[in-house]
Formats: sequence, structure tokens, C-alpha cells
Amino acid sequence: MSFFGFNDRGHRQDAPGFSQPRDAFAGIPSRGLADEAEVLDFEETYDGLGDQLEESGDAFNDDTFGEERLTQQSIGKDFDFSGQTGGVSRAIEEERMRFAAQKAPARLAPKPASPPRKATKPAKTGYEGFIPQLQADANLWGIGPKRAPERAGPSGYQAAAFSSHATPSPAQPSAAAPPPARKILSVEEVEAFMRAESQQSAPPPVPVHQTPSYPQHMPEQHHFMPHQPPQQPPQQPPQQTPQQPPQQPPQQHPGFAFPSLQQHGHRQPQIHAQPTPPPQPTVFSHPPQILQRPHPPPGSQQPPAAARQPELPSQGFPPQPQHPQILQRPRPSSQVEQSAQRHTPAPQPRQILQNPNRLSGHGQSGPPVPQPYQRMPEGPRIPTGPAHQRGPSYQGPIITNPQQILQLSDEDRLAFMEEDSKRAKRNHKIYLLSKDNGLMTPQDKNFITRIQLQQLVTATGTVESNDMESVLNEDFYYQVYSQIRGAPRHDPHQPANQFAQTYLFQTGGRFAGRRNARGVDNHMQRMEQQVQRAVEAARAKPKNKQLVIEGSLGKISFSNAKTPKPLLNIRRNDSNSHPHHPVRRPSRVHDAAAERRVVLRNIETLYNSVMEMEDHERQMPPPLTDTSDSATVQQHLEWREKMQILNQRIWADLKVLEPFIQNSPTLHPFVAILSHPKGKKVMPRVFRHIDEQQRVTTLTMIVAHLDSLDVIAYALHDASAPAPLAVREEIELFAQAVMPCLFRSVNEAPLNIIAGVLGLVTERTTVSAIVCTKIGVSILTMLVSRAELLKPTPSADSAAHAEWEQWTETFNRLFDAAEPALPFVFPGTVLNADDVHVWQFLAAMGAASNPEQQQRLVMGVKNRVMETVRMGRTLPADMAAVRLGHVNLFMHAIGLDVDLLVG
Amino acid sequence: MLFFSFFKTLVGQEVTVELKNDISIRGTLKSVDQFLNIKLENISVVEEIKYPHLSAVKSVFIRGSTVRFVHLPATQVDTALLQDATRREAAQAGGKAKLG
Repeated sequence: MSFFGFNDRGHRQDAPGFSQPRDAFAGIPSRGLADEAEVLDFEETYDGLGDQLEESGDAFNDDTFGEERLTQQSIGKDFDFSGQTGGVSRAIEEERMRFAAQKAPARLAPKPASPPRKATKPAKTGYEGFIPQLQADANLWGIGPKRAPERAGPSGYQAAAFSSHATPSPAQPSAAAPPPARKILSVEEVEAFMRAESQQSAPPPVPVHQTPSYPQHMPEQHHFMPHQPPQQPPQQPPQQTPQQPPQQPPQQHPGFAFPSLQQHGHRQPQIHAQPTPPPQPTVFSHPPQILQRPHPPPGSQQPPAAARQPELPSQGFPPQPQHPQILQRPRPSSQVEQSAQRHTPAPQPRQILQNPNRLSGHGQSGPPVPQPYQRMPEGPRIPTGPAHQRGPSYQGPIITNPQQILQLSDEDRLAFMEEDSKRAKRNHKIYLLSKDNGLMTPQDKNFITRIQLQQLVTATGTVESNDMESVLNEDFYYQVYSQIRGAPRHDPHQPANQFAQTYLFQTGGRFAGRRNARGVDNHMQRMEQQVQRAVEAARAKPKNKQLVIEGSLGKISFSNAKTPKPLLNIRRNDSNSHPHHPVRRPSRVHDAAAERRVVLRNIETLYNSVMEMEDHERQMPPPLTDTSDSATVQQHLEWREKMQILNQRIWADLKVLEPFIQNSPTLHPFVAILSHPKGKKVMPRVFRHIDEQQRVTTLTMIVAHLDSLDVIAYALHDASAPAPLAVREEIELFAQAVMPCLFRSVNEAPLNIIAGVLGLVTERTTVSAIVCTKIGVSILTMLVSRAELLKPTPSADSAAHAEWEQWTETFNRLFDAAEPALPFVFPGTVLNADDVHVWQFLAAMGAASNPEQQQRLVMGVKNRVMETVRMGRTLPADMAAVRLGHVNLFMHAIGLDVDLLVG
Repeated sequence: MLFFSFFKTLVGQEVTVELKNDISIRGTLKSVDQFLNIKLENISVVEEIKYPHLSAVKSVFIRGSTVRFVHLPATQVDTALLQDATRREAAQAGGKAKLG
């Protein structure tokens, strides 16, 4: 059965392949159906190849199949296993069990599956080389040497094989029936069916019966194969060669053999005449090939061998030995003998026989495969390798899927097939794509790269003004940041170039690594030059963002990543409206939010001015020397002029000189600026760009408005509730950002200014409140201590002494004002360690005080001193030392020491 | 270009990129381009359990448009400078708008 089915299917599916490219995957989906339910109608499936059969070639078929004694009668008995094999039933049973242990259920299923597989594999290989697969099939069917010549190449083989195959089938339509049946029918059913048919026509039934029997034998094969593969060929060939030829056909090619036998039954006598080399070889060669097919490797080799040496069919060649083996099995004409053979040498022959089964059943793979390997290790593999890749031979797949395939469950097999098809698809894709391989030469690629680089450079490069300034504008943060933090960039002014360069070098490096250096260098040089030129061109290019091509109706707008094409283009009326809003509004209605916005805007304006100043500073022309030419001098003059203008702008933006409106609900603009963190932060930068006079003025302004400074107004602390976090942060920021500026100014100020500033404090502010804030205390400390440093020596002139007198007067006023607050100057409780600034202030005051004032000072802070000293005893030594050290700042200033108190 | 410029300074720093699909990827910023596409190396997904398919990924290239947030190391940001840079950008934009 399996043979029948196999043949038919293979024939049907493969047939189109001869003339047309076949869809390699067509067979896959249908496979499942075919396995289960498809019933093949021979008439439908038969493609008429049989008509092409060369009838003359059959002349010697009888040589192979046609021994008289082996004819229908003997064959007819073969298939009746229940009757014939009764003697060996026990052995068969054993085999069956063994096989079942491995994967009995797969046995029957695989057979039907095999045909589809065939199809698939050809499909796989078909892409690469469709024909080879066919060849493999041909091997299966034992292509006659004669036919090979008819059609060039492997396809000819297959065709021949099919034709031979086909020939019988037409002759015996009945034979066709079994194949479809096999798929559906159980073994028993098939047997019954065959037997029934056998009565009508003996030959067809035989194959059917045998088919079932094969699986049973297969187990034996597995076992034996490992042991004796090498030995088998030599042993059996000699013995059975003569006998087997006739018998072979029935077993392995049930379909073939029988039809041929029937057809040529009258020719049987001819069969005996083996001497005629050409015809006989064909016959012989077929059977061996078929038999060998299970052993894919040998089979592949054999067919050629047969073709070459038709005359030495069964004797000399390894394939032939197999051939005889196969024959043996039918030989069992005496069942006893069969059983005996099986137990001893027989197993091997069975293997061979079974191999065909497997082939037919499972398609390609089979336990037999291993044997072929062992026997002809190189031979088989060679074909397989190509088979897989080129698809020259059917066997490739076989080898790929060794025995396992046979043992696989249906699902596994399905999966395997799918995988195979996938692989085939992929290969196909690769193949399709590979058509375009090598279309581009390295030069082409380089050319493309250059174009891309050029675009890159023009895009990232410089669409607008290309001076360093714009670069800085574009990439300000990075440039400055890397300058500040020491990033690798050394030349912040030419980033675009550097980018291009870096990129080029990297690319060059890459290429150089891969290819020979010379050509690459050339290309790289040209590329670099091109990029350079592109950059130059981009720089030279006018900034217009639109291109009007002559004769065109519209404009083409350029856009790139940096300056996308504007979809909305709104023209603003030059900031006429803007400045007015803020100014007007506050004057009309006091609006806190508006007020705040005004202040913030003022701050931003200030920032912009400052930044402009900083930019301008960076552009300072080379320093003037005696040899400087007029141009440089001119530059300098202009630069300074600009500097002056910017300075005035900053000064104006700082709004220090804005008129101060007494009792105004709004803060003075400058104070308002200082009340924002941003405003505080900008002060150091502003102070760098304003002159001494302006700084002092600013200092004066700050001091005069100490009361209204947020860091003082909101920082009035009482012991129970420390200032809120936000205020503390403001204070911290002020101390860090603004105080140093003030400190620097104060340290450069002469005594009279200090005295004047201090006078402002006493006149314009509430000293008792100020001394209760950290910033206020710090400023007072700053002023007082500075004055102390400026204390004129006795030898100083009278003017200095006069100033000092004035200062002392001012200080006295301050002291008087501050004295009431002395008990409250300390923030928080004693436990709060953040009172250094207070001790510093006290120390400064103490140092500047006369003894009487010192006395009053001590009285004012005595409690705190004692508390601190007392607490110092409870603290760990180091902390106590720190606290007492703070106290000592003050104590030393008045000529005392904490130790006195402690003691 | 401000953000580009800004992110360039973060190259080599460890950042956490939160994508619009809620995946957060932490890794070393390898490079960034003008589209703010981000290349990260040595990445780890913050919620590894939730996105096991990324656990084997070592480096990623993130299209800028898919980024929701980038969590930065605060110490690596110069806020004052950033403010200035922003002002410049704004001034430039303002200037452009006026020109346009």
C-alpha cells in the first residue's frame, strides 16, 4: 500500500515540477488532509506520464522481476501474511512490540505522511536546485540507466522513474485504488481489501499486505543496523543475488513490480536472459535503487553507478548486495526459511526491505540511513550535503532528519516539516535578495556616504551667521558647562567643525580598519575635502530661507532641524506695548500679581543686560600695546564705548537710583529685585560690571532699605518660632550671593563712607529689629569691624581724627539703639548652635565699644553667655569647645575669657 | 537646541528615561542627538518584573519622541547656567520672531 500511495503521490505532486517551477510549499498545507482523509483517485492523480513510458525499455523487466517461479503465484502468496507468516508470527510479534516501544503508532501514519514530505523536501531544495530532489526520487524508484540519457540531468531520472512507475499503474487501475485506501484503512482492512482484490488480480494485493508487514520488520532493522551494517552487504549479496531479483519487485515496488510482472509476464523468459546488459541493468538497477532509497546515501550513489555500469547490476556494487538482501525477503516462499533468515542474516535484508517501506512511508529518513553511512560513509554524505543546500538530491533531507524522523510523532513531524518550509522560505528570500548583492561598488558606497556627510554638515552646521557667537548661542549650555566643568572640549568656538572632523575621523578609522588603506585614504581625503567645502559653502550661503527659482510660481522654504519651517509667522509690533503695561498698571491699581510680574521682568531685563555685557566682555579685542595699529585702537575704543553703554544699561536695569517713594505700598524696585532669589543671584555678576561708585551706591541703597529687605523683614525671629524654611533659604542665599559683594565693597570703602552708611542705618532703619536678624547683624558686623580696621593711628592727621570722631558718634547712636535688643539678638534657644554671627557681632561691638559700653554689652548678653557656658559642660568636649569658642569671640573682644566664668 | 545642548553635558551620566509607555529605563547616557534620541548603555529597567522582556537588553536607542521624562542627576545640572542658556534661547527666539 504504502508503495502505491507513495508512488502515486510522488508522481502526482512531482510531475508538474518537470516542466514548470513548482511552488515548493504547496505540498505542506495539504499534507495534513492527505494524511487523514484524502482518497486518491488514480485517474485524477495520474498525469499520463505512463504514456510516455518507453515500452521497449520494459523488455528486460522480467530479468529483474520475472522469474517464472516468482511470478504471480509466488507473489500472490507473499502478501498473505496471516497465512504465510504464521510460522514466524512469534518473531513478528516480538518485532512489533519492540517497534511499538519506540513509536509504534507513528508507523502507519508516517507512511502516508511520507509522500507529502517528499513534496516538501523537494520544495525546500527546489529553490536552490529543484532537480536534484527529483533525482533522489528517481533513486527511490530505481531509474533505469536507459532513461537517464533520455532526459538530461537528474530530472530525467525521475521522469524515467515515474514513467516506469506510471506504466504499471495504467495497466492496473486496481493497483491505484489501494494507495488512497491505505491512508484511511487500517492494516487489517487493507489486508482484507487486498486479499479480496488479489482474487481478481493477484499483484495489487501483494503490495498491500507487505506494507503492513514492513513496519513490523522495521524494529528489527533498528536493532540490527547498529550492529552489522557493514557486514550486511557482503554477506547477503552473494547468496541471494540470483534469487532475489524476481522477488524484490513485489516487496518493495509492489505497485511497480507487479504491474511490470503482469505486463511482462509473457516476457519472463527474457528475464532469465540477464546477459543483455543494457536492459537488464535497468531492471536491476531500479530495484536496488528503490531498495537503497531507504538508505539514502547508497541510493544516491548507486543510481549513477547503475547508469554507468548497467552491465554489472547485482554483482560488483555495494548497492547490489542490498538488492539481493531485499530479494531475500520475498524469497520466504518457504516461511520457515524466512523466519530463520530473520533471526540470523535475515534481519539485515529485512532492514533493507523495510527501508523502502520507511521511505515510502516516511519519505526519506529511516533507520536504514545509518547503515548507508557506515557502509559508505563518504558517499552518502557527499550527496546529502549538496542536497541540502542545492537540493540536488532527495537524500539531503533524509540525512538531515536521521532516524528520528521516523520515530517522531505526527505532530513533531508536522512541526519539522513546517520548520523546514520556513527555512526554505528564508533561503528563498535570501536568494531573492542576494540577487542585488554587489550592485554597489565600494566607490558607490563612498559616494553615498559623502553625500550624507555633506547633508549632515550643512544641517547641523551653520545655517545662520556662523561666527562663534552664534555657536555659543546655539550650544551655550554645553559650551560653557564644559568650560566650567572641564569637559574634553578644548575649543568651544568651533564645535561644528569639530563635529565634522570627529565624525570624519571616526568614519575614516572605521573604513581603514576594514579595507585596504590606500583606496580608503583617497576616498577619505576627498570626503574630508568635500565636507570642508560644504561647510564653507554653507557659511558663505546667504541667510535667506527662501529660494525663488526662476520660472517657478512659488517660493521654496528651507528648513532643517534647527530652524523648522515656520508654519505660523507672527510679526510683533516692536515692544511698544510691553514696557507700558507694567509701568501703567501699578500706578493705577496695586496688584500684587502684576507687581510681581513687573519685578520678575525687571530681573530678566537685568539678566539680559548682564549677559550681553558678559558676551561683550568676551569679545574684548587684543590688549593695546604701544605698537598697536590704529585699527586695533579703534576697536578698543569702540569696545569700551559699548562697554560703557552696557554698563549704563545694567545700572539702569538695576534700578538702584529709582526714586524712593516714602510710604509707598510697593517696594523700591531695587529692593524688589533683591527680594527674588533670581535677583539675589544676579548681584555678584552685576557687581563685576559696575564701578566702585556704583557699588557703594548699591551698598548704600541696600543698607538704607534694610528694613524692607525680605531677608530682614520676614526673618524677625522670636525664640519660639524659627523662620519658615523659605525665608531661611532666602537668608542663606542672600548670605552667599549678596553679602560677599557688599563685604567686598565695604572692605574697599573709606571710613567716611562707612560712617555714612552706618548713619543711614541708624537714621532710616529700626536698629533694634535689624540686630535680631542674621543678615542685619552680619551687615552691622561688617561695617563696625571695617571701621575698627580703619581706626586712625594717633599719628594720623586731624581730618582722619575728625572722621573717626564722626564715626564714634555714629557708633554710639547705633549702640544705643541696639542695646535694648541685646537680650533678644540670639536666635532660638541656647540649644540652637546657629549663633556664631551674633557672637561675631557682639565681638565687633565689644571691640568698638568703650569700657562703659562694654559693660552694658555684657549686661545685655550675660544670660546667654552663662547659659552657653553652663550648657557647654553638659556637651561633649569637642562640641563644648566649639560653643565656648564662639563665646570667647565676644569675651576676648572685651578682654575677658570664658575660662574665667567656667572656673 | 537648548535641550540638545543640555543633554550633551549629561553624556556619561546615569539617567533614568521614562517612556510614554510607562517603562522606565535607567542607564548610562551614551549619546543624544538633535531629536533628543537617546542612546543608553548598561541599562536596567526600573520595574524589571513587569517588563521581563527587557531584562536581557544591554543597550537601547530610544527615539526622542517616545520619551516622557528624563530623570537627571541633580548634581550634574548647573541651574544658573541653565537659566542663562534659557534666557539666551528665549532672546534668540524673540529676536527671530521679530525678524520674521
